[in-house]
Amino acid sequence: MASSKIQELKKQRQLSNKRKKNQVIYGVVCIFIVVLIYLFLLKNNFIYSFIWKIGLLIGFTLQKSRFCFTASFRDPIMVGSTSILKAIIIAFIISTIGFAFIQYISTGGNFNIRIEDIPGQIDPVGVHTILGAILFGVGMVIAGGCASGTLMRIGEGFILQMVVLCGFIIGTLLGGNHFEFWDKLLIRNSPTIYIPHYIGFPLSVFLQIVVLIALYYVADWYDKKNNIMMTM
Amino acid sequence: MRLWKGLIKKPWPYLVGGIILAVLNIILFSVSGKPWRITTGFLYWGMGIIEKLGFDNTNWYYFSVYGNQLNEGETFFNNQYTILGLSVIAGALIAALLASEFKWKIIKNRRQLFFGLVGGLIMGYGSRLSFGCNIGSYFSAIPSFSLHGWVYGIFMFLGAWVGCKLLFKFLL
Repeated sequence: MASSKIQELKKQRQLSNKRKKNQVIYGVVCIFIVVLIYLFLLKNNFIYSFIWKIGLLIGFTLQKSRFCFTASFRDPIMVGSTSILKAIIIAFIISTIGFAFIQYISTGGNFNIRIEDIPGQIDPVGVHTILGAILFGVGMVIAGGCASGTLMRIGEGFILQMVVLCGFIIGTLLGGNHFEFWDKLLIRNSPTIYIPHYIGFPLSVFLQIVVLIALYYVADWYDKKNNIMMTM
Repeated sequence: MRLWKGLIKKPWPYLVGGIILAVLNIILFSVSGKPWRITTGFLYWGMGIIEKLGFDNTNWYYFSVYGNQLNEGETFFNNQYTILGLSVIAGALIAALLASEFKWKIIKNRRQLFFGLVGGLIMGYGSRLSFGCNIGSYFSAIPSFSLHGWVYGIFMFLGAWVGCKLLFKFLL
């Protein structure tokens, strides 16, 4: 009974695949347009043209690999799969090494400088981080996508994600508007902790990579133990 | 032709995606001086929209602290975040079209609409509290050796767990 149903579904899928129109020509038209925009930016602002190029590659990669931060957190909870989480951990290991080089070169190896002068995403940590992260985690699961996933799915034609983007814009406006309240209540009293200022740069890089490798093995172990999709 | 099929028609493994995204983020960081960020761009778009609607958007406290102000020569629509956001959408669109996977997917029901809007709203609000989203406060923050990236990751996981519970209760 079950297998005949699967056969039926397979047939339906094949039929709908045949009906699927070839869209390559539209893709080529789009490539032509983005190249024109690239050339326009190149003439006016080199950095913008460069960012445009990188963004296109990021979007392309996100779509091709179905890279979804929401799923990396949701799948371990719902189906026990950590394959995306493991890919993100590997990405962290690579970017840790790359970012370390950039910070090392730009500071000339002298890290005893103001945090504002060290390049990267270094911001205050405290209760506001926790609140923001929990809100974001809840939101991305019920909306079915995070910030990068929302942009990617708009490109794939999801109308829902355009609504999510509207919600995003309204939410950032409200949050930005209330920022003074949160700053005075929490953020102002929170420290900005750049880990190398406490344990030194080489040890920070080394420890972070060790922790990430350990997390990779934990994720791998968890997947083998809990993944309900294993039989497929 | 076979290479075309492998690269363009078929999905890539997650691991390949992760490696490429990490390398792209490093290149972006090294050339532009700033790693990948998204949600601040959404705020800029919102500010641009309310300006167009005739609201007064000058003198916001937010833009006077933590280096949140626009750089010289930038406007709410003309800035790095806009370029990066639009190019990510365009890149995904091209990938979907070349694989003939693009499809307008309509919203199924009112509940989905509601959850999408509310989900987006609390993500946006949360991102202002924590100085970024899953990219700015996580994907780009942990490799920057900032402790807030790790704290963010841990509590985003907790939030996702709460979200799953809500999803089971109200959506499924």
